[in-house]
Amino acid sequence: MLLTQTIISGLMIGGIYALISMGLNLILGVVRIINFAHGEYLMIAMYASFLLYSTLGLDPYSSAIIVIILLFLIGLATQKLVIEPILDTPASTKIFVTLGLSIALQNLALMLFNANHRTVHTAYQSKLINIGGITMSLPNIVAFISAIVIAIALYFFLQKTMVGKAIRAVAMQRDAAYLVGINVKRIYILAFGIGTALVGLAGSMLMPIYSVYPTIGTTFVLIAFVVVVLGGMGSMFGAFYGGLFIGVVEALSGLLISPGLKEAIYFIIFILVLLVRPAGIFSRGKGSEEVGLE
Amino acid sequence: MMNKILSQKFLLIGIILAALVPLIFDNRFYLNIFILILLFATVANAWNVLGGYGGQLSLGHAIFFGLGAYTSSLLFLKSGLSPWLGLLAAVLVSIIAGIVIGFPTFRLKGPYFTLATIAFGEVIRHIALFWRSLTNGSMGVNIPFEPSFTNMIFKEYETYYWLALILFLISLSFMYWVDRTKVGYYLRAIREDQDSAQTLGINTTKYKMIAMILSAGLAGAAGVLYGQYMLYFEPENIFNLNLSIEFVLIVIVGGIGTIYGPLLGAAIVIPLNEILRSSFPMLNGMNFFIYGIVLILIVAFLPNGLLPFLKDLLKGKLLNRKRVKSKIVED
Repeated sequence: MLLTQTIISGLMIGGIYALISMGLNLILGVVRIINFAHGEYLMIAMYASFLLYSTLGLDPYSSAIIVIILLFLIGLATQKLVIEPILDTPASTKIFVTLGLSIALQNLALMLFNANHRTVHTAYQSKLINIGGITMSLPNIVAFISAIVIAIALYFFLQKTMVGKAIRAVAMQRDAAYLVGINVKRIYILAFGIGTALVGLAGSMLMPIYSVYPTIGTTFVLIAFVVVVLGGMGSMFGAFYGGLFIGVVEALSGLLISPGLKEAIYFIIFILVLLVRPAGIFSRGKGSEEVGLE
Repeated sequence: MMNKILSQKFLLIGIILAALVPLIFDNRFYLNIFILILLFATVANAWNVLGGYGGQLSLGHAIFFGLGAYTSSLLFLKSGLSPWLGLLAAVLVSIIAGIVIGFPTFRLKGPYFTLATIAFGEVIRHIALFWRSLTNGSMGVNIPFEPSFTNMIFKEYETYYWLALILFLISLSFMYWVDRTKVGYYLRAIREDQDSAQTLGINTTKYKMIAMILSAGLAGAAGVLYGQYMLYFEPENIFNLNLSIEFVLIVIVGGIGTIYGPLLGAAIVIPLNEILRSSFPMLNGMNFFIYGIVLILIVAFLPNGLLPFLKDLLKGKLLNRKRVKSKIVED
C-alpha cells in the first residue's frame, strides 16, 4: 500500500516535471538551443504568482492565466532580444549566453526579494483527498490533471493546427520550412513563448505546493535536463513520460533508499542514460545532432 | 629569438614584482583579494587546459576544487596527517575523480559533455551533504585555527599569498608546456574538429585524458590551499554549480585558450566581486547579477575574451605609431 501510495505521489509531482520539461524540449527541438535559463522562468512565474497573491489577493489558480500570458510575453522578448542575435554562433556561445541569463535573473531575484522563502496560504492547500485508501493532496491532483490536459492540448495544437504544423516543420527541416514560406524566425519566437508559457502554468501549479526562492529554478531545470535527455531531445511525448518517470523514481528512491539521496539517484540515472543512449530512451530526438550529438 | 628573450625578461620581472606585492600592500583587504586572484587564476588555468585548449566545456570543476579541500582537511582532522602530505593525497583523489568522470563522458560532444559534468557535480554535492559521518554534511568542515608550518595554517596573510603565488606559477608553467608542445596542438585540433583530429591519427581520448588529469590535479591543489586559507567550507559553497560557473567566467572574460587570459580574468572578476560585495552589502546577489550580464556581453561581443582584444588594441596603436614614424622619415 505504501508502495502504491509512493508511486502515485511520484506521478503527481511528475506531472509538474513534465510541464517544465515539455517547455524546455519544445525550445530545444525548434530553436535548437539548450536553455540553461529555463528554470529561472519558473522562478519568475512563481514570484509573479506570489506577488499577485500578496498584492491583489488572487489565489494561484485564478491568477494562472495572467502568469501564463506574462511568461509567454517574456519568452517572446527573450527570443527576440537575447537568443535571435546569437543563433548563428557556436554551441559554446549559446551555452554561456543562456547561462549568463540564468545567473543574472537568479540574482536579480535575490536583490529584489532576498533569499527568504515565500509561500501563499490558501484554504485548499492542505486538503487531502482519499481515493481507495490512497491519500493525495488537492494541489498535487490539480497540478497533475492540468499537466495532462495541457499535454493533450499541446499535442493537438502541434498536430492539427496550421501554426502547430509550421512549428513541427521548422523542428524537422528548418531550411525546407523556410523554402515553403514559413517565417522561421517568427516560429522560433512563438516556440520560445509557448515553452515559457508552459513553465508559467507549472509555476502557478507549484505555488500552493512549494515556496519560492531565487534559486528554485536550478533544482527544476536540472530535473528538466534529466527528463529531456531521458525522453529524447525534441520529443514532446518523451518529455511527458520522462517527467512522470523521474517523479516516480524520485519518490521511490526517497522511500527505498533515503530521502537525502533521491536527487543523487536521478542524476546517476541521468549520467547512465547519457552514456548508454545519449539521444534519449524513448526516441532519437530530432535536432540532437545540431546541439552536439549525432 | 629577440622576442623570446624579451618575453622571458618580462616574465622574470613580473614574478619578482608579484613576489613583492605583500610588502607593498600590507593590508588584509588587499592581500585577501590578491590571494583569491591567484587561487582562482590557478583553477581557471586548470579549466583552460581542458576547456580552452581541448574544447571540453566542463561545468564541474568545483568537484576537483572541493575534493581537494575535503581530502586534505579530512585527513588532517581525522588522522592528523599534515596538509602538506594531504596535498599529495588531494591531488591524487582529484585526478582519480577526473579519470572516473572523463573516461565515460569523453564520448559525449558539446552540450552533452557540459550537462554530464553538471550532473556529476550535483551527485558529488548531494553525497557530500548526505554522508555526514565523513563530511559533517551541511555543517561543513571547520579547521581549528592553530597556526604552524606542519598544519599549513599561518597567522600572516603574506605566507598564504606566497604559497598561492607558487601554486599559480606551477600552473602557469603547465600552461606554457601545454601551449608550446604537441599536447596543446593536439588539444586545439580536437577542439576545432574532433573527427578530423581522429582521422589524422590523434588519439583524441588519450589527449583529452591528459588534459583532464592536469586540470583536475591543479584544481585539487588549489582547493587544498583554499581550504587551509578559509578554514571553513561546506558542500553548498564548495561543490556549488555557481563556483564551477565562476571558474569558467574568469577564463571567458580573460581570454579562452590563452596563457595569460585566466590571470587577467581573475584580476578583473575577483576584485569586481569583492568591491561589489563590500560597497553594496545590502544588495545580496548584486555581484552575481553583474557576472551574468558580463558573461552575456563578453560572449556575444568579445568571444575571444579581453586579452586578445587588448593585444589587438595595443598592436594597432604600435602599428599606427610606426606608420606615423615612417611617414616622418619619408618626409
